[in-house]
Amino acid sequence: MEKKSLLKRITGSREASLVIVLIVLCIAVTIKSPNFMSAQNILEILKNNSVIMIMALGMLCVLLIGGIDISITSTLAFAGMTIGMMYKYDKIESTFLGFLIATAMGAVCGLLIGVIIAYGKVMPIIATMGFMYIYRGFAYLVAQDQWAGADALGSFKDFTLSNSLSFGLINNTITVTIICYIIFFIVLKWTKFGRCIYAVGSNAEAAEISGINVAAIKTAVYTIMGTLAGLCGALATSVYASAQPNMQTSKEMDVIAACVIGGVSMNGGRGSVLGALLGALVLSVISKALPLVGINAIAQNTIKGVIIVAVIVLNVLTQRMMDRANLENREM
Amino acid sequence: MAGKSGRTISATPDKSLKKMLLSWEGMLLVLFIAINILCKCISPVYTLTNVLREMPKYLTEIFLLFPMAYILLMGEIDISVGSTVCLAATVACLSSNAGVPFIGVLAIGLITGTVCGMINGFLATKFRELPTMIITLGTQIVFRGIAEIALGDGGSISLTNADGFRMIAGKVGPVPYMFFIVIICAVIFTVIAEKRVFGRNLYAIGSNSRTAFYSGVKVNQMLFISYTVLGLLAGVSALFLTSATYGANTTTGKGFEMDAIAMAVFGGISTAGGKGKLAGGIISAFTITCLRVGLGQINMNPQVILIILGALLICAVLLPNISQSISDKKKKASRA
Amino acid sequence: MKKKVLSAILSVAMAATLLVGCGSAAEEAPAAATEEAAPAEEAPAEEAEAPAEEEAAPAEEAAAGGGTYAFVSKSAGNPFNERQATGFEEAVADLGGTAIIQHPEAPTADAQITVIQSLISQGVDSICVAANDENALQAALEEAAAAGIKVCSVDSTVNVASRLTHVNQAGVTEIGQCLMDAVYDITGGEGQWAILSATSQAANQNAWIESMKEIQAADSKYANLELVEVAYGDDEPQKSTDQTQALLQNYPDLKVICAPTTVGIAAAAKVLQDQGSSVKLTGLGLPSEMAEYIGDDDAHSCPYMFLWNPIDLGRLGAYTSAALVSGEITGAEGDKFTAGDMGDYEIVKAGDGGTEIILGAPFKFDPSNIEEWKEVY
Repeated sequence: MEKKSLLKRITGSREASLVIVLIVLCIAVTIKSPNFMSAQNILEILKNNSVIMIMALGMLCVLLIGGIDISITSTLAFAGMTIGMMYKYDKIESTFLGFLIATAMGAVCGLLIGVIIAYGKVMPIIATMGFMYIYRGFAYLVAQDQWAGADALGSFKDFTLSNSLSFGLINNTITVTIICYIIFFIVLKWTKFGRCIYAVGSNAEAAEISGINVAAIKTAVYTIMGTLAGLCGALATSVYASAQPNMQTSKEMDVIAACVIGGVSMNGGRGSVLGALLGALVLSVISKALPLVGINAIAQNTIKGVIIVAVIVLNVLTQRMMDRANLENREM
Repeated sequence: MAGKSGRTISATPDKSLKKMLLSWEGMLLVLFIAINILCKCISPVYTLTNVLREMPKYLTEIFLLFPMAYILLMGEIDISVGSTVCLAATVACLSSNAGVPFIGVLAIGLITGTVCGMINGFLATKFRELPTMIITLGTQIVFRGIAEIALGDGGSISLTNADGFRMIAGKVGPVPYMFFIVIICAVIFTVIAEKRVFGRNLYAIGSNSRTAFYSGVKVNQMLFISYTVLGLLAGVSALFLTSATYGANTTTGKGFEMDAIAMAVFGGISTAGGKGKLAGGIISAFTITCLRVGLGQINMNPQVILIILGALLICAVLLPNISQSISDKKKKASRA
Repeated sequence: MKKKVLSAILSVAMAATLLVGCGSAAEEAPAAATEEAAPAEEAPAEEAEAPAEEEAAPAEEAAAGGGTYAFVSKSAGNPFNERQATGFEEAVADLGGTAIIQHPEAPTADAQITVIQSLISQGVDSICVAANDENALQAALEEAAAAGIKVCSVDSTVNVASRLTHVNQAGVTEIGQCLMDAVYDITGGEGQWAILSATSQAANQNAWIESMKEIQAADSKYANLELVEVAYGDDEPQKSTDQTQALLQNYPDLKVICAPTTVGIAAAAKVLQDQGSSVKLTGLGLPSEMAEYIGDDDAHSCPYMFLWNPIDLGRLGAYTSAALVSGEITGAEGDKFTAGDMGDYEIVKAGDGGTEIILGAPFKFDPSNIEEWKEVY
């Protein structure tokens, strides 16, 4: 009995099946490229994908309430470009101030989207599609056809090189990512606000009747998404030591894909921080591995797409198996 | 998708002119005229000949609008259609360069598009628990990826013999052939949506897919057909696009899906399904086209044009909602 | 019923627009005077008749003010393109004409076609375009040529059928030779090297890479150099970073990476410098982006790199456009003209069978001059 329940727990959990997918992927890559699992490589993967990983958290919340946000990379570019220009023309010096401004800008951008969706009752895909054009346009207008390069960014770019945040333990970018994940894990699992998010996503009407201010929760969630996008704007500018108005264009789809791979339902109410993390990791490993295993450059996009589709379909099939197993149990 | 009011399927539609002008389509029509007058005022070269000449690029996107509207009406979405256009154009060009006669090239382009549509339709119906947004996100990457592989190093192919494509890019007077085909498609798709059982079922599915299913609507079949037709028209779009570029490359058709969806939404079609009219989508498509042409002619920064379009898109949905909630409040107040 | 009335109104509206349109196009005569330009075959020539006539009016107006010269860049939001545009504008201002600068909304050929069509409507005198795709602009540019507009390309060429001539920043072989010599010099004449390019379909990059390969194969001097891989970073910082790290990992003996693209070289420079790698970098990059990474010591990843002056490139594009419009040159091989204070230029035969004008040799940026140039572009 004991054994069976363990087996069931493994096959019965989406997260566990994803861990298996991830392990299989890593093993497959390691066979072709033995150094793949080296510490340095893992750090590089985490650092180079921190932006996607952090934004996946915000997207998780947005998807949990049954919404979607395709404007995030435009917000990111707008915020990142603005502080890039500020450093370039010596308006600000301090690294902290840069992060603060970018994050605050993201929050305002997200708030505006949230209000329009929650109180204006505009469909999320439409509202965020509109803002995708608007914020991206702003990024171009702010940039005035200039980039902020490594030289212009001064000490700002050193933030993502140092290990200061964790007192020398690990790179700052990764520290920020980990802090974000811990906060979201706690908030979504153990706070009232987190419960409210799940409640709104599962059944908005029921949530409303039971006294939850649905509109306020929705606004808050889009504001959180915007805040993270703003933070990532600063982070991306620092990691790549470059701010360009077309930064991260169409990467929002990667973020959404990461969540869906992680088992987050797009109809709302179902999904976990762990799932989002695993989903983002699967994508990160794929993008890191494709050039390493020597796959022809032109075929890399197709293979990435096929793997994404395969993992998602696998998800559905596991879910179906789980449902069937549950039904069988009920019959017994 | 339950719990929202769908289009009322009444047997006797309200015919009063006032009501019609106040409808979204009526207002769009007024906007269409206003924008044309505006463009005429700001741009000295905003003439019919010039507008028609600049229109083909936008017309290729309008092809996608019709079936996309069907899919949106059912509460689904397709974001892979730009990639389908790319793949169909690539395959058509490759076959043309391989010496296939032009009629065969046309057929191959259309078939490629249709097959892509069928793949989407198949996945959408077999994995109903997956949102179509995600399915088509996957196929978006894969279709364009296959095109990238087919295009090989260089990522671009040009027709060695463009005669056939020059022919379909021809014009009657100032009016490109494509324009007539768009109008024909508009009529066919509108008639089906408004007058046929298929059209009513679209609204039924969009309002409540489960109810529609239990009342005997073949939901899966309709989904499959709609995606297939979208693929077919993506093929048509690809062929006309090729006639303007004499070739294909890896960026062909990029962003078409968003433009087509934006046209539909601006026309009053809800992405939640069940609400809106194809006529609105068609008027909005021409409105947006005229606006872009006009603003382009005064050399406005394209990024600013995109900002304007984004704002228009949001306002198009926001304003009716606000006026709705105001009138609701008034009703409540008067009742009290 | 409702729909019928609606469509009736729609058609009335269309008809109204038609009237408005024809009002100004009324003088349109079915004249047969089409320009003899390029390979105008029957179909496009016919298409273009109407606009050609219409174009006459605004063009005459413009001629009084010295002509209208349009420049279409590859994409918005890129300092290199912006500098080109600035140079173009300056030169046109010197000539007393009007410059129209258009950055397309996306870095695609489709977006450029939209812009070109709009410029044809506006009846500009010339179009100077930096193409996103060599062949895709052909139909649009043929239409422009048929409407009497002089077409030349700059920076990134369009195919021979679409242009009168091309303003080239530097000969392809010249750039290939420069980069190859840099690789030879930095490696010390032997060892592994790799290329990090933009996208696999970037025409300029592909031509330079091809030329480097040919040069390497042709001369036994390079026999000890081994090109291990051509990687593509798609001009995205994230992907370029992944690709650079993969190169370092797959080829532990790698000595030099050559990145002939502005985004790729900056991303690669950052990776190498952050890791303190012994691998060195060269290629084509913007001084303002690369200033941080250029230096002779081990702390810097890039000893030197190349580029040309985009401002001069834009200026030469403008002078060429003006010379084409005035009829001073026709784009034929051997034509000569004076490009303002830039001196005299001669049109020469290009590798693709057309003609081109070459700006000059690529410019070398090293620690001695980078401080000065990073302020410029």
